[in-house]
Formats: sequence, structure tokens, C-alpha cells
Amino acid sequence: MADFVRARSRVGLTRRGAPTDRGPRTEYLAFRLGEDVYAGPVSLIREILKPPPLTPVPRAPFAVMGIVSVRGQLVTVIDLRRRLRLPEAGPTRRARVLLVNPTGAETLGLYVDEVLQVYRLADSEIEHAAAALGGEVAPYIAGIARPIIAAASSQSAGQVDASLVILLELRSLLAS
Amino acid sequence: MAEAGDRAREEFFSETQEIVEGFGRDLLALDEAQRAGRAEPELVNDIFRAVHTLKGLAGLFGAARISTLSHELEELLDDLRLGKVELSAEVLDVLFKSVELYSKLLQSEKEGTEAPGGEVDELVRSVRRATGGGGAPSPFGQYDLDPGLLAVLTEYEEHRLRSNIAQGLSLFRLRVVFALATIDQALDDLKSLAKPLGEIITYLPTGSGADADSIELDILIASRAGAEDLVRALAGKGVSVEEIPRHGARSTPKPSVAPQSKPRPQLPPSILAPPMEPAPDSESAPDIDIARAPDSDNAALGGVRNPAAAQSLRSVAQTVRVDIHKLNRLMNIVGELAIVRTQLARLVERLRASQSDRSVTTDLHRLQRTFDRHLAAMQQGILEVRMVPLGQVFDKLARVVRQISREADKSVNLVITGAETEVDKLIVEELSDPLMHMMRNAIDHGIEGKAEREAVGKPTVGTIALNAFQKGSHVVIEIEDDGRGVDTDTLLQAAVRRGVVTPEEAPQLSMREVLNLVFLPGLTTKANVSELSGRGVGMDVVKTNIAKLGGVIDLTSETGIGTKFTVTLPITLAIISALMVRCSDRLFAIPLANVQEAVVLDSGSVREIDGREMITLRGGTLPLCALARLFDLPPPAEEGGDIAAESSARAQLPASSIGSGSSAKSRWGNVARTGARTLRQFIVVTSVGSRRLGIVVESLVGEQDVVIKALGPSLKGVRGFAGATELGDQRIALVLDVQALVEETLASSERRGFELKGGHG
Repeated sequence: MADFVRARSRVGLTRRGAPTDRGPRTEYLAFRLGEDVYAGPVSLIREILKPPPLTPVPRAPFAVMGIVSVRGQLVTVIDLRRRLRLPEAGPTRRARVLLVNPTGAETLGLYVDEVLQVYRLADSEIEHAAAALGGEVAPYIAGIARPIIAAASSQSAGQVDASLVILLELRSLLAS
Repeated sequence: MAEAGDRAREEFFSETQEIVEGFGRDLLALDEAQRAGRAEPELVNDIFRAVHTLKGLAGLFGAARISTLSHELEELLDDLRLGKVELSAEVLDVLFKSVELYSKLLQSEKEGTEAPGGEVDELVRSVRRATGGGGAPSPFGQYDLDPGLLAVLTEYEEHRLRSNIAQGLSLFRLRVVFALATIDQALDDLKSLAKPLGEIITYLPTGSGADADSIELDILIASRAGAEDLVRALAGKGVSVEEIPRHGARSTPKPSVAPQSKPRPQLPPSILAPPMEPAPDSESAPDIDIARAPDSDNAALGGVRNPAAAQSLRSVAQTVRVDIHKLNRLMNIVGELAIVRTQLARLVERLRASQSDRSVTTDLHRLQRTFDRHLAAMQQGILEVRMVPLGQVFDKLARVVRQISREADKSVNLVITGAETEVDKLIVEELSDPLMHMMRNAIDHGIEGKAEREAVGKPTVGTIALNAFQKGSHVVIEIEDDGRGVDTDTLLQAAVRRGVVTPEEAPQLSMREVLNLVFLPGLTTKANVSELSGRGVGMDVVKTNIAKLGGVIDLTSETGIGTKFTVTLPITLAIISALMVRCSDRLFAIPLANVQEAVVLDSGSVREIDGREMITLRGGTLPLCALARLFDLPPPAEEGGDIAAESSARAQLPASSIGSGSSAKSRWGNVARTGARTLRQFIVVTSVGSRRLGIVVESLVGEQDVVIKALGPSLKGVRGFAGATELGDQRIALVLDVQALVEETLASSERRGFELKGGHG
């Protein structure tokens, strides 16, 4: 438990309740796509890369940005914005590629606009009523969390409202 | 520990596999000899030894079924060897079946699945039938004679041994060391000394216990006298005498009369537990001997070893079996090194250009060239290691041919040439199923029945030629039969019935187009076989599998004369030479194996025929396809706009622009206008089989060896790329799948009709 508290202080505070009665917590890596903050389970994210030179693949599915070489292995990079039908924008200096392999079948790169921070969230802090969001992306959303971010820990570009984090269901998102 | 065990198991599988393959080869030779009326006792012996070794190995690894099968076969082969069973076609059938069964057993053993026990039992029954239900026992079986020794007895020696045993003489083994210099004299002396007591049947070098100047011999002698008399008579000659015990005199007689699959004695677990010797060496021989004669005195047998067997074991030990994936890893490392080499070369160039410190630069340049050379040699070396002769597959095919032709009651003579042609191991593995299928088709549907052949004046024995040869960086495999050929009329009728071809189109199709209908999936259902006069059961699958290997399959046929399938394959998949081309500021690699030449495009000479651009090149018509248009690439943008520029190119190519192929005439003009630069464009003339396609690109960059890596599963549906390759600067170039492009562009008009009319329905 001591270990737990220490860790918590490092990753930021949550608004609600004492930590002891919230049950086990999961770590989520938050990243920015356009104006919104999304997050995926840290356990699924293997590596964060500065985008290597990207080679587009003609005829590839819409969301595929191209392929990159990661230590000799070819990795297909998915544009998460396209995948989630978000408006597109040009590349930024802060853009990163997250390497994930959620299904165990293939390592994929997820192109995000900026990597923000890690949240530790208990299940009870997550609103699972994601279906309320509606739309075709609803099945890919695991829930919504509303953490408070310590102002100092935020290294984001500034204008992002991080009070609402959309948790992604990476497995179903990338399986299709 | 477990790892070591696994390793030993793997060794077991690969070694057993090798032995079974050798068994199959010997059987084929034996089959041939038998038909030619020749006796080949040495082959029978080889097979016997193979089975014997299998039995030993299976025993070591607790593969009970293989062990049982081997045991029964051993009895049969033993009788064959001793001439107690006639080598008939039936016996050969049983033996051939056992080769197949061995493969199956190994497979199930490897995968840990249920062994085909029923088949083993059945085969064992037929083996016993062939053995004659346990007829007269071999007189040798009563003695603990080393099978290796029996295997090398001449007929005369065997005869002498037999008659001596029949006379009730005892057998003794004498072991004596002779100096090489005086061996003839010494041996004669010994013979004369031994003569009054009995008859020396044979002698063999033991292969051990002697130095370079002397040789140790095992001498088999039949004698009326007892061991003491022999010792006395040969005293002073340094001879050790052992009596070879007779089973009948023991309390546990060996039931050699009616061979039963009695449980083989298990070796103590302590032998199984430690890591096995990775390679078979001479040490395994005594183990096998234990397995064969469990109730014999091992010490008495240990030294007697057939020199031929020992030799073959040793030669196996000189080769190393390597998991192909390890070679793949090595190949990848060489690929990485090739990238380093490119970077190094670039650095050297920069240094030379800057003219700083000349001597260092020159040294570096020299070093770099040496590095290049060694790297190329290493790459070549690894490629060579991966190469295996096609004979590995051809042997299997020969067995299949024999089996199928017997089943179909057709006489087929398989003529193989070029079995020594070498191909990448992975290709060989993937090749056996498609070739097997084609062979089966050739016999089932190509070769006519005996009566039919006679009626049309062909020899009753059909011929299938299986040829392999190297052609540039490709290997060509031909399967040619002298059967009835493809019945194109019936084929076409079936195609029309299925709606693949309209009745109007049918008469216009060329012979080649009609024959290629064989490869369409819709036309190859079993129900059609008879009315289609065969050909094409699963030929679509064959074509797909060969295409996966980067190969092409072609077919020619003449009614009444025969059919010929030609498979063209790349020699290796790992590293290829490629022509690097640029198009819309992107690099693409075109496998050099598919490139015939590259010429400058003279846009004035482009003609449009039937909605497709062509030019006339060297007297032939060459269809063209512009890469930029095919891939819907953006016009060349200024350098450096990597992601921004590329993101606009991510749109999918609308399917219609490939399929319809009959838009405005100005299409070519569009391509020519792309970008503001002067547009000198190039045509890369590619070929797949006999089909050619000119790929139009902006510039040629140069030739380069590239390591092809497959695109991830998420891009599986993307057609037109064989994979991608890394360039020196962390960038990637896509490797074009020329075959897919040729099919796509040419077939879009050739087969447009079929596909749009619901050929898959």
C-alpha cells in the first residue's frame, strides 16, 4: 500500500475519494489528438517513438499512414485521427508514434499529436456509459475519466482541456 | 534441460526424416531394378540398415509406433535379404506404403497428435502376410550375429554360413590384431591353423582397437571344436575367441518364427533424461544393437561393426542441420550490414569530395571496398547454405507417381532430369504440395488408360517428364505428359455454362486464354471433372501457392499429344537484386528478375488500343502502365514535405480506375503533365512468364540488392507490393509485385468480361 501511495503522488491526484476503497487501479497513457485527450492502457503500449521517416503505401486502407522501420522491423502506422474520424491537421513537432500490439498478431504504430502523461485510474473513476456518445466510434471507447491534473505536471501545448479523458478500447479499435 | 531435450527431439525428427527419405530413394531404385529383372542385394541391405537405424532411434525417443513398424519391417527385410521372401510387386507395395506411413507417424509424433494406429496395424498385417505368415525361420536368427556383419556377407559366405549352421557347428568370433605390413602372410597362417578345426566364413575390420600400422579383424568361424580347442590351436597368435551363443540353448528363446509386436524393452530412463548427443555418432550403434538383440551379451557385440554403416554414420555427422529460421536471422543481419555498407560508402564519397586528409580517405576507401567484397561473399555463402536440391521433392513425387499409377491402373514412366537443381529451402518446402497435385492430375486426367492409348497408337506406358533447370535467377520446373491433352471445347463449354465467358466471347478467346480457364476457381469443382476431361482439380490453389512463392505457372497443351505445365520460380526469396525507380518522389524497387530492360519513353509513339496504352518496342507490342496513375500518386512535390505531402496521397485508389480501363484518351496526357518539370519518363520493361508490361516511371535510380520484408498483416489486402525494403537512410522503398501488376493491368481487360459477369457465382 505504501508503494501505491508513493506512486500515486508521482502520477497526479484524482479528485475523488480515498485511494484505499477504490480497488485496483490501471495506468493509462494520455495523448492528444487534435483538441481532445485520449488514453490507452499503459500495459498495451510498448514504446513511444519520435516519428521515423514514414513511407506511405498506395492503396492501403484509409487510416494507414504508411510504414516505418523500427530496428529492422516494418511497422504499419495508423493515423488515430483518421481512425476515429477526427478532423485532420498537419504534423507537429510533438507528434509521436506509440508502438502497440494489442491482439498479439502484429505490432502497429499509432500516430498521435502529443503524448501527455500517465493516469492511474480505478475502475470506479471511469464512466463506462460510453455508448451515450453514440456514433460509429462508440464501440472503441472503453469509458471516460475526469482526472484533475496538477498544473505543474502538464507539459501540453497549453490549450488542451485535459479534464476529460476518453479511454480507448485499443483491441477492438485495431482489430478492425 | 527441457531445451536440450527439445533439441535432441528435433535432431531425432530431422535425422529420422532423412533416413526415411533415403529409404524412399532406395526403394525406387529397387523397384526399378526389380522391373528390370536385376537383383540388388546391396539395396535391400541399405534399406534394412535404414529400417534398423529407425528402429533404434525410435526406441531411444519412445516413438512406439515407429518402433513397432520398424520391427516388423526389419523381419520382412531380413527375409528378403536372405532370399526367403520373393521381392514381388506386392512386397514393394508394402514397403512403399511404409515410407508414407513413416512420414505420417513422424508428423503425428512431432505434433503430438494421435498416431494413425489403425494404419500401422494394417500395414503390420500386410507385412506379416508378405513375410509369409512367419515361414521358415532364418537360421541366423538363432545366433546373436551382428546384422551389420550379416549385411555384408557375400552370397557364397552366406551359403557357407547357412550350411555350417545346418550341420550343427558352433560359431565363434575371433578377434585379432595384424600388422598391416604382414597381414597377408599372417592371415594365411591363421587360416591354415584354423582349418583343421573349422571353416573361416568371413572376416571384417572392426574399425577400432588398432593404431595406424595395424588392423584389428573380426573373424567369423564355424567349428566343430569347442572354444578351448580353438584357443589352444591358435595360441601365440594373440587371438581372442568368443563363442556366439545360440538362442535355442538359452532359457529365453527368441520367437523369430512368428514375429509379434512384443513390447520393445524400454531403455532405462537415465539414458533418456540427459541431453542427447546432437549428432548421430558411432556411439549410437551399440544402443541400436541393444534394441535389436535385447537378450544378447552386449560386450560380445560391441566391437563388431559393419564398416559401411560406420562410414555412413560418420558422413552424416559431418553435416550440420540448421533451423531455417536461424538462417533467416543471419540473413537479416547481413541485410542490416548491407545498409551500413551503403551509409559507409556515402560517407567515403563525402570525404573524397571534401578533399580533406587524402591518405586517410584513400585508406578508408580501400577498406570499404574490402568490406564490400567480404560482405558480398558472406551473403552469397548464406544463400548457398539455404539451397537444397529439388531432388528432395522429386523423390517424393516419384513415390506418388508410382502409387497413383498403380491405383489408377495406368502404366507411367516418370523421367526426371535436373534433380540436382538447387532452390531455396523454403521454396522447396512449399513446392511439394502444388507439384504433387499437378502430378496427380497428369496421371488421373492426362495419361489415358492402357486400352485407349493402344487404340490411338501410343505406347501403353505413358511418360511423364519432370524437368528442372536453372534459367538466370529463376528455376524452371516442367511437368510434361504424353496424354490426351486438355479438351478445350469441353472446357470452354463449361466456362460458358458457368457464366465465366459469354457465348459471344467464347469463339474469340485465344488458345492460351482458354487453357488459362483451368486456373479459375469456378471451373474446378469435382462434379466437372469427368465432363471437363479432367485437368484443373484445384489448379487455382496450385496457381495461388506458386504465386505466393513469387513464381508463375503456365500451361500448353495439344489435343491427343500431351500437356505441359511450366513453373518458373525465383531461386531465393531472401535477397533479390532490384532496380530502384523514382515516381512522384517516392522510391520503388522492381525485382531485377522481372526486368528485361529500361528505355526512355517517347510519348509520341504511345498508341491506345482498346482503352489501353501501348507502344511498339523491338517489333512487339508492349502494354504500358504508369505507376503514378496506377497508385494514384500525387504529382512530384518539392523535397522535404514528407508527411504533409504524403498525407494527401493517402486516398485510396478508386477501384473503377483499374477495372473500367476505357476512360478518355487524354489519360496519358494527364500523366505527362504531372508536375511542372520537364518530363522525360522511362519505361521499365518487365516480364512475368511470357507476358510483358511496361511500367512508366519518372527516373531510374540504380541497381541495388535488397532484403525483402513482408508488409504486416494489416496491409495484407493491398495488392501490388511484394513487400518493402529498407534503404540506407532509415527510409523504406516498396517492392513492386510485378506479377500482380501484370495480372492486374493485363487481366483487367483480358478477363474484364469474366469477372464483371459474375464468374465467381
